[in-house]
Amino acid sequence: MTGPARSGAEAGSTALDAVRALLDDAVAHYADVPAAAARLEAQRRRLDEPLRLALVGRVKSGKSTLLNALVGARVAPTDAGECTRVVTLYRHGATPRVELHGTDGGRRTLPVRRADGGLRLELGGTPPEEIAQLVVDWPTDDLLRATVVDTPGIASLSTGTSARTHGFLGADDGVAGADAIVFLTRQPQPEDVAVLAAFQAGTGGEGALTTTITVLSRADEVGAGRLDALHAADAVARRMSADPQVAAVSSAVVPVAGLLALAGRTLRHGDFVALRALAGADQQQVSRMLLTADRFTRPEAPVPLPAEVRTALLDRLGLFGIRLSIALVRAGVPDATALAEELLRRSGLAELQRLLRVHFTERGAQLRAGTALRLVEEVLAEHPVEGDDELRAELERLRLATPDLGELALLARSRAPHGPLPPELRAEGERLLGAEGTGPAARLGLPAGTPDDALRQAALEALARWRTAADDPLAGRATADAAEVVVRACEALLAALDRSAAAGRPR
Amino acid sequence: MGTSAQLLDRAGALAEVCGRPDLQRRLLQARARSADPRVRVLVVGEPKQGKSSLVNGLVGAPVCPVADDVATVVPTVVRAGEAPRASLVLATGPGGIGGGSPDDDGPTERVPVPVDQVAARVTGEGTDRLVQAEVELPRRLLDGLELVDTAGVGGVGAQRALRTVDLLPTADAVLVVSDASQEFTAPEMAFLEQAAALCPTVVCVLTKTDACPHWREVAELDRGHLARRGIEAPLFAVSAALAQLAVQHRDRELHEESGIGALVTHLRREVVDRAEVLTRRALVHDLRAVTEHLSLAVRTELAGLEDPSAREELVRGLEQARAAADDLRRRSSRWQQVLTDGVTDLVADIDFDLRDRSRVVVREAEEAIDAQDPGPMWPELSEWLDRRIAAAVADSYVWAEQRSEWLAERVIEQFARDGGGAVPALTVGAAGEALAGLVELPTVDDGAMTLRERTLIGLRGSYTGVLMTGLVTSLAGMAIINPVSLAAGILLGRKAYRDDQQQRLQRRRSEAKAVVRRHLDEVVFQVAKHLKDRLRTVSRTLRDLITDTAEEMSRSLADAVAAAQRATREATAERDARIRSLRQRRDQLDRLAADVRALERAAVAAP
Repeated sequence: MTGPARSGAEAGSTALDAVRALLDDAVAHYADVPAAAARLEAQRRRLDEPLRLALVGRVKSGKSTLLNALVGARVAPTDAGECTRVVTLYRHGATPRVELHGTDGGRRTLPVRRADGGLRLELGGTPPEEIAQLVVDWPTDDLLRATVVDTPGIASLSTGTSARTHGFLGADDGVAGADAIVFLTRQPQPEDVAVLAAFQAGTGGEGALTTTITVLSRADEVGAGRLDALHAADAVARRMSADPQVAAVSSAVVPVAGLLALAGRTLRHGDFVALRALAGADQQQVSRMLLTADRFTRPEAPVPLPAEVRTALLDRLGLFGIRLSIALVRAGVPDATALAEELLRRSGLAELQRLLRVHFTERGAQLRAGTALRLVEEVLAEHPVEGDDELRAELERLRLATPDLGELALLARSRAPHGPLPPELRAEGERLLGAEGTGPAARLGLPAGTPDDALRQAALEALARWRTAADDPLAGRATADAAEVVVRACEALLAALDRSAAAGRPR
Repeated sequence: MGTSAQLLDRAGALAEVCGRPDLQRRLLQARARSADPRVRVLVVGEPKQGKSSLVNGLVGAPVCPVADDVATVVPTVVRAGEAPRASLVLATGPGGIGGGSPDDDGPTERVPVPVDQVAARVTGEGTDRLVQAEVELPRRLLDGLELVDTAGVGGVGAQRALRTVDLLPTADAVLVVSDASQEFTAPEMAFLEQAAALCPTVVCVLTKTDACPHWREVAELDRGHLARRGIEAPLFAVSAALAQLAVQHRDRELHEESGIGALVTHLRREVVDRAEVLTRRALVHDLRAVTEHLSLAVRTELAGLEDPSAREELVRGLEQARAAADDLRRRSSRWQQVLTDGVTDLVADIDFDLRDRSRVVVREAEEAIDAQDPGPMWPELSEWLDRRIAAAVADSYVWAEQRSEWLAERVIEQFARDGGGAVPALTVGAAGEALAGLVELPTVDDGAMTLRERTLIGLRGSYTGVLMTGLVTSLAGMAIINPVSLAAGILLGRKAYRDDQQQRLQRRRSEAKAVVRRHLDEVVFQVAKHLKDRLRTVSRTLRDLITDTAEEMSRSLADAVAAAQRATREATAERDARIRSLRQRRDQLDRLAADVRALERAAVAAP
């Protein structure tokens, strides 16, 4: 996206400056109330950091694998048993570095051990209960726009593990640990939905829905790893997103095969050679080998591959990944690069990354500003101090001045029961507010690449429609206000189109 | 040695000859118990763990629905039959889907369907009236065993999950299914603990071992979890997909790998055979008791007739026996005391427990109502409430069942130090039955107002505003309707509207709280009544059982005393004939006793 995306980012950054100023002001006001000041300061620091994206889900739902796939390296430990026991932040850094934050406030650097192109985390003998969080710096562009947080699983049997996730999300110190959540599930359970709802209540209710995306994880295991497993997963995800209880806490459900995506991002030539050997061998024998994981790793096999190579392959691709790769190689995929691309395309990671971009990183500034404003409002409500009128006025002004914040808040409210948007206009309204993407075509529901004139025409029509809705004398106050927000979104859209037309003419 | 049925016949005939109808009745009951030895095995677990696939793998036929998304919504019962046959059980009465077991769920009808279509017919559209599916298959595994495939426990949008918990007490064994991709989670372990409390045999099954390379590690972790919680349940790792392939290709190696063979063997050996051993043990116990009772009378009379000199000593011995009988009666007053006290305590405890649980629910509900406007969120709130109530009541039932079993054990221990009898089967029943009779939660005003109402409220406020200000300004020579009075009207109208909204919210809140409280009172009342009725049945069963046994014993003793006295009086000629017939009878009894012992040895050797 060129023009509009940039303009969105600009609007976000000016808003962010004002929010910074507001927070600084507030910190100064609350110098006498240490608890409130600490919360505000923490929030102020967070404002300049990249967006924090937490991966949350049950034990073994594939959080670490998905994190590795998002980062493109095996940095988070994965194992057969429950593995992630402490909250771990992965952020961008020039060189790999691991820092341990103790519950007592102490920090120390841990040695970086590289293994298999990734990282091996070792706690250096510190018991998990004494660790507040681990912070890992890793040099990859994927982490530039968002810091990703790996959390211990919900519903774990080892006591304390799940509590650490709840503590992190539930904002014990008043600052929610994450700005947005990717919720991984294989089959949503009531407990999981309850955790999500609690988190959203913790982050202030409004703006909650837009900060959660649900991932149907381990999609390659739907249908017991048949070759069409990913299609089946698609159908399941569609059904899930239609479920009102899921829709109430999450804006979208996407199927992702984490292991496949990771394999696609870390595929090596050696792997491809092994897969080619398998594809070239007798088809019937290979398919018998691939019946079970046990058979595939037996010492004796009808293909000239040592058992260790096969075990490594199974670890890296999974049974479904191997089946799929062999089918692809047989169908004529020529080399490792092409195979990696194909695996990545099928894994659903690209769609997830697109959604993350549309929902989270493109709106990163607004999301963080929104979180900050909510905190200021909360602090003001809890500890009224002398002379806080100015703060209140500034807070209100910022709310009104930044349409993006209004957009997000409205988007979050619109799906609640008896939301402010009239039902017949809701879908269009949400789209115009950027529920499906912040580009002009996405907002107008037109295919990408639609010429500017057609976009303008559609935007003008939408504007007219929503003006009528906003001016409807019979409409309720909430509905009229909501329609007004949509009208502003339309106007911003038209302005952006004008700008891009002026800039794009010479091209 | 004969079969148990023949032994029962012989014992019955002898009891008739000796004129003991009470013992005959006991034999009849024993026969009825041993006639239906079918063992019910529930297959349970969270959604998408492979329960239906496992059942299909066990019976080697696709009788349960398997799909990528949640497929099983009603139980499928698979049992032995001479030929493959299937039928759907549909509710015919209104509101037939109420919970509880399908047998007492109101009117139902059976619709036969082809076996190869039953899986397709129980999933998807048109399953609203479906209560359960039943399949009969000629399989050796199913001899004396029925498998019940259930809907997953938990899962968003699965309203029928509670039914699965309801089915637990009716089962002889439970297969808890979890797939090999992850170790047990906390909800799964909670369910396992519930199952272990309600069901004599629990078996864990780890499925999908074909697709998960690390299933051995997961199995070890799970065994560790089970051991830490003190749940004694064996764990089997199986692959239903391999088992199915093995059937298709008739491949022995695949069958070995699938691990299903070990599970089948365990089911047959530990579950079915053990259930058989238990029924047989009970049967042997009954037979032996009857034989002993009978031979006591015969032997005493015989001894009296054969050796008149020992008669007096005999009579003395019998006097002692009579004293024993009196003692028995005294003891019976003690056990009655224990029973009455226990039941009173139990009822009080359960009442308290229920009230306590309901108070917690009320408190939580009130917090939720205070935090939000109850109007719009009422559907969610009532659904949440239903769920909480169901869970709380189910817990109460589990507790009541455990407590009553404990009470039964204590009473029987008190009564029969000589090993008088096994604990009878006591069921408190299931939570669903009590909740089924409950009325729906009434709705509260959802707070949405029509435009007309809103306008009216606004107008009512603005009317006074316009009038008041208008009157004042009219003094200044303006018309009553002028810009100032209109502005005042609008202001007051808005205020009236807002005040009204606030009032309505308050009213909705208090109304919602009252509704919740009333509803919970109703629940507590209904459930407590149901539980008390059930507990009364339990105590009656116990009392009848023990009274019967006590009567049998005292009657045997009294018979023996009478016989000894008769022996002292009877004439010699008659005596000889009597002795002959008594000897014959004694020999018959000895033979019977020997056969019963042989049967008992077989029963002991079997496990």
